[in-house]
Amino acid sequence: MSANDDQAAVERVLGGDVSAFEEIVQRWQGPLINLAYRFCRDRGRAEELAQEAFLRAYRGLKQWRQEASFSTWLFALATNLYRSELRRIPARTVPIEDVPEPADTRISATNFEDRDRDSAVRRAVLALPAKYREALILFYFHEMDVPAAARSLGLPEGTVKARLFRGREILRNKLPQTLSVPYLKEA
Amino acid sequence: MKRTLNDAEIDPILSGKYEILPSSGFVASVMDAVRREATAPPPIPFPWRRALPGLALVVATLVLVAIVGFAAFTQGGGVPAPQVVAGAQSALAQALRAKLVTAALWAGMSLVLAWAIVKLSLRLSTGHA
Repeated sequence: MSANDDQAAVERVLGGDVSAFEEIVQRWQGPLINLAYRFCRDRGRAEELAQEAFLRAYRGLKQWRQEASFSTWLFALATNLYRSELRRIPARTVPIEDVPEPADTRISATNFEDRDRDSAVRRAVLALPAKYREALILFYFHEMDVPAAARSLGLPEGTVKARLFRGREILRNKLPQTLSVPYLKEA
Repeated sequence: MKRTLNDAEIDPILSGKYEILPSSGFVASVMDAVRREATAPPPIPFPWRRALPGLALVVATLVLVAIVGFAAFTQGGGVPAPQVVAGAQSALAQALRAKLVTAALWAGMSLVLAWAIVKLSLRLSTGHA
């Protein structure tokens, strides 16, 4: 499914064909659930948040101006929702044994030490103040793309870069023995 | 002894695109919610046409009170003159001395009016004639 397919599906939904929205859900369920999971580290809650994001997208389809791509609009909408929901009810810390196995085998931890390390890094990110946590989550979710993270957050790129810098600084202080944070890629 | 993580190790931890897979029933669950949304009646719009006369009356009353208050204030030379304050105290004392029966009557009428407004609003919002 391409951007044109998204647009065609949206037009069909706006024309009254509710079932066309299923194509949109099929395509974007993975990214939206995984983005929510990064915010809360709770599978059940991630799906609830993603479902609410899809519902809001359905209600607000007319507001998509088509100046930006559908995915940009959808991620910005979902990010707004996740941020406000996580501020209302903060994420709880999930025990390591409850963390599901990664779907991507390239990032599988090969032993308990690796899993401890991964878990420690993720917990440290979750424990960051909201504005730094959100910048880091979006930056990594968009594969270290600062402009994409800035669009999702609705912030200027400079602000996102500053928050990434400060967020990493805090992370370094939290995990001084185990974490060496990579330098920010040039946008 | 713990060693320092390098870039190649930290990046996959935080940038793994798909960490979890959606549940098998997720799409169906979203579509159920979307269909419920599509078939739900639209929200009742605020009845501006009915409310406007009342709102206009409230605004006009407030403006009138403000004008009268301002006029009384300026009569005293821009500051609350002692006679204005004394007059207000006297009016307050007079009001407090009013008959209890009259006050109760007004209170009762206010309660009945409030009850009627609530009933009417509920009827309008639930659509019952």
